[in-house]
Amino acid sequence: MTGATAALTAIPPYLVVAVASLLVLALPRAVGHGLGALATAFVFAQAVLLGDGGTGAHLATEFLGFDVVLFNVDPFSLLMGVVVGFLATAAVLYAYGSDAPKWVTSLALIYVATTIGTIYAGDWLTLIFFWELMAVTSTLLVWQYGGAAVRAGYRYALFHGTGGTVLLAAVVVHFANAGTFLFSATTGIHPAATLLAAIGIGINCGFIFLHSWLPDTYPRPHVAASVFLSVFTTKTAVYVMYRAFPEGGMWLAYLGGFMAVYGAFFALLQYDPRRLLSYHIQAQVGYMLAGLGLATAVGEFAVTGGFAHLFNNVLYKSLLFMAVGVVIYRTGLEDIREMGGLWRVMPVTFLVYVVGAASITAVPGFNGFISKGMVLDSAHEVHNYVLLLDGGLLWWLLVLGGVGTFMSFIKLGYYVFFHGSATLSPDDATAFQTAGMLLAAGACVFFGVFYGQLIELMPFTEIIRSDEVYFNPYSTSHLTESAALLVAGFVGFFALKRPLGWLAHHMRDVDAVLFPAAFYAGRWSVWGVTEGWAAVDRATMRFVAGAKWVAMNPRQLLANAGVDAEIRAGIGRSVLFLTLTAAVTLFALLLG
Amino acid sequence: MTDVLLPLSIAVPIVAATLPLALGLRYDDVGWPVAAVTTLGVVGSAAAVALEVYTAGPFDHELGGFAPPIGIELVADELSAAVFLLVALVSAATLVLSRAIGPRGNAFHSAYLLLTGGLVGVALTGDLFNLFVFLEIVGLTTYALIAADRSGASAYASLKYLVVGTVGASLYLVGVGYVFLATGTLNMADVSTQIVEQASYTDPLIRAGYAFIVVGFALKIALFPVHSWQPDAYQRAPDAVTTLVAALVSTVSAYALIRVSYSVFTVDFLAANDAITTGILVVSGVSILAGSALAVMQSDLKRMFAYSSVAQFGMIAAAVGIADETALLGGVVHLVGHGLMKFGLFCGLALLAAGYGARRVEDLASLARDAPFAAGALAVLGLSLVGIPPSVGFLGKWYIALGAVRSAGATGGVVGIGLAAVILASTLFTLAYVARVIEQLYFAGVDREAAAHGVTAPGDRGGPGDGTDRDAGSAVADGGDGGNAGDGVDAAVPGTVPTAPLVVLVVAALVTVGLGFAGAGFETLLDPYLSEVFA
Repeated sequence: MTGATAALTAIPPYLVVAVASLLVLALPRAVGHGLGALATAFVFAQAVLLGDGGTGAHLATEFLGFDVVLFNVDPFSLLMGVVVGFLATAAVLYAYGSDAPKWVTSLALIYVATTIGTIYAGDWLTLIFFWELMAVTSTLLVWQYGGAAVRAGYRYALFHGTGGTVLLAAVVVHFANAGTFLFSATTGIHPAATLLAAIGIGINCGFIFLHSWLPDTYPRPHVAASVFLSVFTTKTAVYVMYRAFPEGGMWLAYLGGFMAVYGAFFALLQYDPRRLLSYHIQAQVGYMLAGLGLATAVGEFAVTGGFAHLFNNVLYKSLLFMAVGVVIYRTGLEDIREMGGLWRVMPVTFLVYVVGAASITAVPGFNGFISKGMVLDSAHEVHNYVLLLDGGLLWWLLVLGGVGTFMSFIKLGYYVFFHGSATLSPDDATAFQTAGMLLAAGACVFFGVFYGQLIELMPFTEIIRSDEVYFNPYSTSHLTESAALLVAGFVGFFALKRPLGWLAHHMRDVDAVLFPAAFYAGRWSVWGVTEGWAAVDRATMRFVAGAKWVAMNPRQLLANAGVDAEIRAGIGRSVLFLTLTAAVTLFALLLG
Repeated sequence: MTDVLLPLSIAVPIVAATLPLALGLRYDDVGWPVAAVTTLGVVGSAAAVALEVYTAGPFDHELGGFAPPIGIELVADELSAAVFLLVALVSAATLVLSRAIGPRGNAFHSAYLLLTGGLVGVALTGDLFNLFVFLEIVGLTTYALIAADRSGASAYASLKYLVVGTVGASLYLVGVGYVFLATGTLNMADVSTQIVEQASYTDPLIRAGYAFIVVGFALKIALFPVHSWQPDAYQRAPDAVTTLVAALVSTVSAYALIRVSYSVFTVDFLAANDAITTGILVVSGVSILAGSALAVMQSDLKRMFAYSSVAQFGMIAAAVGIADETALLGGVVHLVGHGLMKFGLFCGLALLAAGYGARRVEDLASLARDAPFAAGALAVLGLSLVGIPPSVGFLGKWYIALGAVRSAGATGGVVGIGLAAVILASTLFTLAYVARVIEQLYFAGVDREAAAHGVTAPGDRGGPGDGTDRDAGSAVADGGDGGNAGDGVDAAVPGTVPTAPLVVLVVAALVTVGLGFAGAGFETLLDPYLSEVFA
């Protein structure tokens, strides 16, 4: 390790970003945002530089008598560091261009800092510490916007508070069984904590039925805040999922498959652009989990696919949030049916949207095509429940999710940028919004064309490059698969436009039941606990009052019972007691 | 040379006890200076002895040059030095209190000096019969002191203690007689070897001897159910006497119990006789619970803390019965700490009684406003008695409970766990009665305006519907004619607290808290004694 690398490993990147977060508040807006972008760019640069021989457990120390690693550098945390640092830089520029108040950027940066802390944690104790902080900082980021975001923020906090507690329980169980917090000492989390860890992390991943915070929260805060929120919490959760279950499991893969379909389907029914994108987060996380879940069944290739998809998703998902954010910022509208024909007046935004949509739908030439192809290839090797075309259930689920993704992005683009005549004529994106978007869009195209660079950043590079695997995304089969998905998407959208519109009015997600249920359950339990406790309290107070009366009026009690005696021992009785005690003691000792 | 201090510390107070009476024929008020000078000498001697013991180790003195086991021996070791120091300091502090609030006569100071000499004698003697003599000196002077204010109630309390205490002392003497029959010696160290050589730990004579001795001590310590002399004695005695008696008399008896149990009969005797340790533990447990419960029931402040002593000495006796090194350490710490805390508590009550006529719980209402330092010190000492850290009260209870749990873990017995549970329960009871005192001091509102108004125009608040402020209001109304501080009409109640004893009280409270940090110090200082006993 060279001196420069050693120096880099001594700087915890989250501290740099946290300091920047404070400076943003203190300094003038432009300077503060500039420093924020520099701090996140430092995270990016540090991760890139450390990729060359900087791996290892740095800043290992003891906390409360436990071994902890505060800066754990390995291929997985590095790739997260690269993409989080890069995207956060773009997002800070975008926030500056979107008139984000200082508080938004500051809270977003502290949220990024906790994310980076989670990523670079080398043990479960450090991880859960930053994990809980992430929940707090992201909630604050939502609340900052006020209005409808406050109630949604409460629900968000409830979900993540629960998730954090469950994960904390998992970590405790893990420690009780394994005797250590260190990642390096065990393979994933101890089996005894499997269910707790799956649920705790699963809430942040947006598992089906645990996902309703996602579309509930992300459409509500400032558009710039949404860009930050959309990529860090869920993607960090996927990363932590890998830390907990490095060997994957078919349950995870199938859960991922169903998430892809579920998320894409509900996305299709949305008219709020950010809500639509939020459902796609769930769908895309499904692809990642499918890849990670196949770690044992298929091998490192599937894990790499999952992580590559994670990496790409951070880029294009935030890009899409930035693009619709510009539209919302310029028009003030949050319903795509009220927009339309904007491609003429917002050409830059339209172009960026197309890049993002092409990436997420896996059009050849864009980064999503590479990674989604890897996941689909992996799923194709699983032959449980074989359906048509020699494809197993998992593969078909992922393909179906892919079709749904095409349909919903055709829908989004159609409604926002075409769909009738242009009644609005807003300005295009501001300069800094454009800068942020171009950074992300450029990365999407770059990694789609020069996919070798993407593989280079991933773990297991050697295996992917080796002859047995020899991954070639631009093979004929991949291209036909993609074309088929594209055609199915177009046909599906325009054929099903009306039925989907009808469904959108009638089909509600689980939150329609979940939120009222939780509300009334909470209300009734509060009432029950309060009333129950009040009853206990009354009984106790009555008992105490009775005991107090007896204690204060022992003679009166005896008199009421008809006993008329002096209870205080006089001289004679005292001597009697003494003699009796002596006698009893003697007997006990001599005969006992 | 230091060993000469031992006989001097006993003889000088006893001889000086004649001076107030003798000089009193010619001078008035000569008692206090004589007592003060003598007590200061005892404090100095105690400090020198403690310094010697804790730096150079235990030492002894043969009285009159007669070698033990025939001659009488005075011994200063780690345990007796601690008690000696406590006796000297508390005696001196009490003198400050009695100077301010009485009693002040020459007779009182003679008895006081005799008592001090007796207490020091109990702490230092190394001879079983000599121990009886000193216990009797302590007992007789205590009987006299309790009756010092010449009221009927205190005369009865004194008589009760006299009769019961004499029977108890006789039981001890019978026990010593049995042991003498079995071993032919009275020197403590010699007895402990002769028990093994001439008898055995299961010899009926030895067992019966120990049984009589324990019952005799139980009475002197005032364990339930032979405690009945103690609440009357504490309640009826003059306040300064209560302070001295509550802090020291039962304390030296409990010290004697520890000394006789561990230095004379030894821990092997206890191990060989399960019945007696179980008996001690049962009696202590009952004592802890009954004392605490009875304390909660009291409304008279002195009586309340008298019953509290029954419970606290139950814990010390339990520490003896557990026969565990940690528990015994806790017992000794609690012995010293309890002496200090009870001195402080009774001193504070005496000051509030002298300053504001407060004798019952309800009389304390809002006194924290008038007497912030005395009330604050009382609150601190009370919480320390509950066992809230950091305080010496916590340390003692903690070690005892820890020893109980540990011995239960070692033997698998339920007794240890049960005892720990009893200690916890008594902590709650203690909290209950201390909380009553603190609540009255700080939170019971007294409407001074209405009270003052009421004195000038009684008709205004004659109706039962006009309860100015619950019980507290009516209590003040009752006290209005007797001694309400707010009136300023009653000359008998000055409405302030004398300064010198207040300083002593605050120092006692601070020391109580400060000793709470001295757990390691106690362990180091007492370790030689404990490791010798448990060798």
